[in-house]
Amino acid sequence: MEIQTKKESNATVVTITGRLDAVTAPEYEKKLNELIDDENICFVVDFAELDYISSAGLRVLLATAKRLKGKGGQIRFANVKGTVKEVFDISGFGSIFQMDDTVADALAKIG
Amino acid sequence: MIRVEHLSKKYGDLTVLKDITIEIKKGEVISIIGPSGTGKSTFLRCLNLLDQPSGGSIHIDGIDILQPKADVPKIRQKMNMVFQSFNLFSHLSVLENLTIAPIKLRGMSRQNAELKSLELLRMVGLGEKADSYPDELSGGQKQRVAIARCLAMEPEIILFDEPTSALDPTMVSEVLSVIRRLTKEGMTMVIVTHEMDFARDVSNRVLYMDEGLIYEEGTPQQIFENPQREKTRAFINRIRSFNYLINSPDYDLYAMNAEIEAFCEKQILPRKTRHNLLLLVEELLQIYHPLLDRTLLDMTLSYSERKESLELVLESTGEAVNPLDKNLLPDELGLTIINSLVEAIDYQRVDNRNRLTLTVKKG
Repeated sequence: MEIQTKKESNATVVTITGRLDAVTAPEYEKKLNELIDDENICFVVDFAELDYISSAGLRVLLATAKRLKGKGGQIRFANVKGTVKEVFDISGFGSIFQMDDTVADALAKIG
Repeated sequence: MIRVEHLSKKYGDLTVLKDITIEIKKGEVISIIGPSGTGKSTFLRCLNLLDQPSGGSIHIDGIDILQPKADVPKIRQKMNMVFQSFNLFSHLSVLENLTIAPIKLRGMSRQNAELKSLELLRMVGLGEKADSYPDELSGGQKQRVAIARCLAMEPEIILFDEPTSALDPTMVSEVLSVIRRLTKEGMTMVIVTHEMDFARDVSNRVLYMDEGLIYEEGTPQQIFENPQREKTRAFINRIRSFNYLINSPDYDLYAMNAEIEAFCEKQILPRKTRHNLLLLVEELLQIYHPLLDRTLLDMTLSYSERKESLELVLESTGEAVNPLDKNLLPDELGLTIINSLVEAIDYQRVDNRNRLTLTVKKG
């Protein structure tokens, strides 16, 4: 998995590529925690290049979202589609997170 | 057309072929399958005398070709061979590879040989490669040229010795489709292959070779769906199932995934099914993870083409417990995903082991 970050005016866009699974989930969590520790509290996570997610991935998405909420932050997910979206829907996570069709839409909704 | 009786082949003390007796009729397509090292290629090489048998007889159209007076070159013209490693002449162009034998051995004129060869190259889809050289071709193209070269001598029988084993998986189908076409045209063929779906599809008869013998033979349906003898059953089941043993919490998920993907590729399972299977396996192993430092986990994945069903069986040592009991799980996220991916889950305690059997939903 690769994680790329880009600071926009109102949020940090995090692009994840590859798989978010039991092996790579800790890496995602560590990166997000580093960014949060560095005073970043608004995020858009771009799932366009993510091919696969498992419950391990969903758990770290939830953990980091909860941490952000505690700090008054926001996180939105963009481009969640295909088999990744199916896993979100099956698990009910589709209704827990704020989801947008594009990164631009997500950035526009970040207050 | 070909009658083989009590054929044997030894290399020093090593007996590769013990006692082979078979009759091959005109127009038959026979596939030979079996584990590596069981004499399949040796049998083919004995048929066209690339290897000299140690004993027995081979009659082609009534002539015993093992007799000293037998006209071996003439026999080889009747029976031609396509090799795993193509064996094209690298110093000759594609067209020259096809024309050399008809000109030198059959006295054909260059003009006629070239006309016929161009027709054959077009038949295998390589008409535009006539002036290319073998090292300019892909593996699949080389093998198609090799088949066309074989056909240029107008053989009555073609022997194929693992024609696709040296090919990139992406090139296998282009070669198999040329071979399929030949079967439809009534060519007599003996094919040693590991492509089971192909063998099942094109053959009149399948021979399973083992122990230096034709261990079992039958129609494709008999051999692949209902093998009678133990070793045939084990072989057929092995190609249809995959087993993985996990004895540590530090198992390599990606190495296991690669093996599962290879298994799915062999069974030609759709992409969606492969994805769901990998997800299912990961979710199950996450549930088993706390137990893996004291439990041995034996995972078997099997596919039944007849039922079009994929079954995953996990057997674990340790105390009697259903690993998917939701009361034992920290949360239901993994179990929710698992339930969405399977048609049925069964738990049983068998021989002091916990056995979970899951039937994967069709993708």
